[in-house]
Amino acid sequence: MFCMPKTPEERRYVGRLWFAMTAYIVATFGATWTFKHHHPRGASMYLLASLPALPILAVLVIVGLYLAELKDEFERSILVESSLWGTGTALALATFWGFLENYGTVSTIPMFYVFLVWWMSFSLAQVLVRRRYK
Amino acid sequence: MKNRLRVLRAEKNWSQADLAQKLEVSRQSVNAIETGKYDPSLPLAFRLARLFKMTIEQIFIDDESS
Repeated sequence: MFCMPKTPEERRYVGRLWFAMTAYIVATFGATWTFKHHHPRGASMYLLASLPALPILAVLVIVGLYLAELKDEFERSILVESSLWGTGTALALATFWGFLENYGTVSTIPMFYVFLVWWMSFSLAQVLVRRRYK
Repeated sequence: MKNRLRVLRAEKNWSQADLAQKLEVSRQSVNAIETGKYDPSLPLAFRLARLFKMTIEQIFIDDESS
């Protein structure tokens, strides 16, 4: 989103994102390793399988916190618009792909890719929305 | 919305970065307001007015009333 965080809000945002991403890597490797070597069953299986999702959900909370903490209303408006573009793109592609899957024209892809599409569109939208104001 | 911000800023000999610092916003915000591409909220418009010791109407030009 930006190279060097300038304001305290940006620094907190970037710091929280790094923490969430580190937690995601640890959770993903941890869950994969445990499934491979210990074959969990029952509730622990569900708990472990959902573990990598938690840092991803945390990213949504982190973006929300950043929006709430941002003092610069112009920056906030860019972020809000970009998140709407991201959400719209992710929903549109998920719906489109869902129907293609439904009629067997494409293979099934894991649902968590929806978040990846959202994040990528959210990031791209920030660049495009900013260009409008230059 | 059209405004006289660029002229007023130039009279004070402030750069966009100077004004941004005084308003506690980004330089991009000042640029977007100056070029009329972004309309500030009422609280930010009041902050600008206080900074230049003017009324909001003296800084921002209401196209519909002209």
